[in-house]
Amino acid sequence: MTTFTNPLETTMTTTSLDRAERVQLKLFATPGAPDAPALIPVFHEWISDGSLETDELLIDVADYSHVKAGPGVLLIGHGADWSYDLEEERPGLLFSRKRAFAGDFRARLEDALRQALRAAGVLALDPRLPGLAFDARELLVRVPDRLHAPNDDASFAALVPHIVGAVRAVLGEDVGVRVSRVAKERSDVATGPLAARVVLEGAPAIARAQA
Amino acid sequence: MSAGSWKERLGDAVPETLAQEIDVFEEQIARKKSGRMDEKLFAETRLRRGAYGQRYDNGLRNDGRGQRRLAFPSDATKGVDTVFDAPGMQRIKNPYGLVTADQMEVMAECAEEYADRILHVTTRQDIQLHFVHVEDTPDMHRRLASGGSTTREACGNSVRNITACVYAGVCSSQSFDVTPYAEAAKEFLLGHPDVQDFGRKFKIAFSGCHDEPCGLVTFHDLGAVAKVREVDGAWKRGFELVVGGGLGAVPVEAKVLTEFCPEEELLPLTQAVCRVFARLGEKQSRARARIKFLVQKTGIEEFRRLVAEERALLRPDPRWTAYLENLSGQDVAGVRPAGPLPEDVSPDFARWAATNLRPQAQEGYFAATVTCPLGDFTADQARGFAALMRRYTGDKSCRLAVDQNVVFRWLSGADAPAFYARLQELGVADHGAGTLLEPTSCPGTDTCKLGIASSRGLTGELRRRLRVLDDAIDPDVKKLRIKASGCFNSCSQHHVADLGFMGVARNVGGRKVPHFNVVLGGQWTQNAGSYGQVVGAVPSKNVPDAVKVITDAYLAEREDEESFQAFVRRVGKGHVKKLLRPLMKPPSYEESPDHYRDWRDPREFGIGDLGVGECAGEVVPWVEYGLQTAEQELDAAQAHDEAGRFADASRAAFGSMITAARALLEHLEVQVRKDPEDVVEKFRTHLHETKLFHDPFAKGKFATYLLAMRASGRFEADAAELAHRNLDEANLFLEAAHAAYARLTAAAIAAGKRPSEVAARDLGSPEAPAPSPAE
Ligand code: HEM
Ligand code: SF4
Repeated sequence: MTTFTNPLETTMTTTSLDRAERVQLKLFATPGAPDAPALIPVFHEWISDGSLETDELLIDVADYSHVKAGPGVLLIGHGADWSYDLEEERPGLLFSRKRAFAGDFRARLEDALRQALRAAGVLALDPRLPGLAFDARELLVRVPDRLHAPNDDASFAALVPHIVGAVRAVLGEDVGVRVSRVAKERSDVATGPLAARVVLEGAPAIARAQA
Repeated sequence: MSAGSWKERLGDAVPETLAQEIDVFEEQIARKKSGRMDEKLFAETRLRRGAYGQRYDNGLRNDGRGQRRLAFPSDATKGVDTVFDAPGMQRIKNPYGLVTADQMEVMAECAEEYADRILHVTTRQDIQLHFVHVEDTPDMHRRLASGGSTTREACGNSVRNITACVYAGVCSSQSFDVTPYAEAAKEFLLGHPDVQDFGRKFKIAFSGCHDEPCGLVTFHDLGAVAKVREVDGAWKRGFELVVGGGLGAVPVEAKVLTEFCPEEELLPLTQAVCRVFARLGEKQSRARARIKFLVQKTGIEEFRRLVAEERALLRPDPRWTAYLENLSGQDVAGVRPAGPLPEDVSPDFARWAATNLRPQAQEGYFAATVTCPLGDFTADQARGFAALMRRYTGDKSCRLAVDQNVVFRWLSGADAPAFYARLQELGVADHGAGTLLEPTSCPGTDTCKLGIASSRGLTGELRRRLRVLDDAIDPDVKKLRIKASGCFNSCSQHHVADLGFMGVARNVGGRKVPHFNVVLGGQWTQNAGSYGQVVGAVPSKNVPDAVKVITDAYLAEREDEESFQAFVRRVGKGHVKKLLRPLMKPPSYEESPDHYRDWRDPREFGIGDLGVGECAGEVVPWVEYGLQTAEQELDAAQAHDEAGRFADASRAAFGSMITAARALLEHLEVQVRKDPEDVVEKFRTHLHETKLFHDPFAKGKFATYLLAMRASGRFEADAAELAHRNLDEANLFLEAAHAAYARLTAAAIAAGKRPSEVAARDLGSPEAPAPSPAE
């Protein structure tokens, strides 16, 4: 029961999406989420304790909580970053793959979803973050790589099946997936990176999620 | 189908010479990675391309429990002690702060794809991107070059970004628009053979007038202040040139090289100054390599003579004057019709306009300052800025300001409310630009390798608290400016803030505590006319309270219309220090562990280096007592100075250094008498020559203050200027003594030795390693 909002899905064009190393995936927090600075000690502890299960090298924590709709608080790694992201002024957990991942784009996307879910699960159970839960009905996927994934119809069309496949592989084959292209708000503003909003139906709840 | 690489995709859009340089750089990166290129050579090349190192890039990080090695995938390096894979910083040069709409968009894309989506405005009108991988830099440089930006010579021993007032061309107090002159100087000097052989960086600033703050020329290596003079009945443009200023450990005001340099002499004289600096400037000791040391050494008279001699030998160059044929600035007119501000505006707009809109010299146009908290804005906001430029102010109308904001010039009054509404949508509509509400900060321990305390953590916190108070703050206090630097290098320019803060570490009961030295009453006006006075160190966590104590005292004790600078001068440091004294001593660890951590950083400050050891006792060890005594002697010296007793001030300053040196010597169980001769000799053999007193970055610099003061007899100086220098040096020497004590203690504990058994090799301070060649 998948619906694609984009008609180009059937007319797949060749893009070099597979060569895009960077991919980002955001899970949105439900209302009542804590302020970003609360994440600073948590991310520092992930570095010192290894309390997040991951093979990635974790390096440092960067605090941009003073920037409205900014990247919030980031846990900087070598191959990937995790952040408590504030874009759209909607807090959430953003996993950002930067480099150092063997495998194709689909595998990168699947990994991003798994990593984001794992981190969100750990955060949602952290007693220092009361009120933090994640919504299992919505995702944001972004590919900040204008060389291999320019923000155009062809790239979007190529992205959609990857998203559907990755979501089903991770969350279950019968999850409903609706993908729409994040539209440009204003005609006079240059376009951001290729991005897709993903609406899920019947996805298993992320720890404490109210889906 | 997309092209396979940025190089192919951009093709001719990258200017040919830059394209070639970037290709070479890319090739060098590959060679470095496989170990086929010299370490230092590569580091210098990398820096010249604006690709800086960043904290922890030596592969070590204290995670709060101890020093850990960061297991980067490859063992390759990109400079001495700099891991190849470690994230770095990219600096993008914006001459006189100009950013076009296209450049804004390209920088946004780079921030998004290669960094953390943040564009950071620096105190020298540059943009920085952080957490960048060195292998991404060639493509990033290509993309930036295609948009007309360069990263060339943004770092390294070269002519850095040429800065100028953000209001150049639109300001009502300027003599004339300095923009075309700054542009010409940049074009002339970039890659010029005469500026390739410097021992250190060289910073140039232009100012359109003498009295306004924007140009800040007095602390630059070379400063040019626009002047108009009547010559043979005609008005002639020219510049007052000043040389040899600088901030850093000991701030130095630039000296006048010439009162009036006619416009056609601007470039040849600049070239002559550069040649003298390249020829005679210090090359071995980085700590003394800035031009200010050369000017101090030769004296300004001799320096003037050398420059005149060099000027006479120069072969004429048509570029010296060619640009004078067409002196139009970059954005010399509005793209929308001028108009007055509407009468009927929202209270929010009115409040924003009061601090963030400034009328231009051109009737009906305004310069709008967009406040970027701590200098940061996002890639989305950058794209919004580009659109605003195209729609309202023109695509060359943006300039980055030294107080880390973005200024849009040529905003028609009639468009201002709509412009403001769009800023609200973008989340950058905060009022309070240039006030207490918007402190300036250097990167500090967030990303800088030399950072001691978290200047961004502090300013972020101050900003948050002050914005909550907002209307409750007295308007005369709100006018004041705060700047914080993470260490003595002073990158935030705190010497010229009303309330300046400089990060230092102090040892308390065997633990390190982050502190900020309070520097008060610096002058922002008259192109940074005078520097602030160091009052003393306050634990980081007490700084917000210190701000309150100081500003309350100003309101309660000022006379009539007295400015903050005049107030500080009148009451003196001693008085302010007395007020701050209750805040100067941190509570014990047991009472408040929070004081032993920095702002927005839960890690115990430096505990990985220190451990919890036998020093954590109740009793103040003798050495700490000695260092405190030295502080008191320095206070007394300060009091002498304020009372105009300069000889007493010099003697007492020297005495405080002797006391501190003796305390350290006794800590090392060295037998030492009380007389200065013996202390200086023993200091030389046991602390200086052994390198135990060496600062990880400045090396023997602070030790030589003591040795030179003794050798030159300057400790008896009765001239005001020398006494001030003695005071400044004593201050830094004491600071260094505290730091040396902290390092010795840490090393002794770590090695399980007595302090007297510690050797220089046991010290090391991995979080603040010596920077690579040109950083
Ligand atoms: C990697 C981090 C940095 C290092 C290692 C570094 C190093 C230094 C050093 C050693 C000095 C003293 C120079 C001297 O007078 O001899 C200095 C001064 C200065 N730096 Fe930095 N710095 C860093 C970051 C920055 C940043 C981010 C800015 C902002 C653009 C900045 C702007 C300045 C300014 C304005 C001064 C003082 C004014 C002057 O002498 O021109 N620095 N820096
Ligand atoms: S003042 Fe010190 S901590 Fe701040 S950026 Fe400069 S060198 Fe780094």
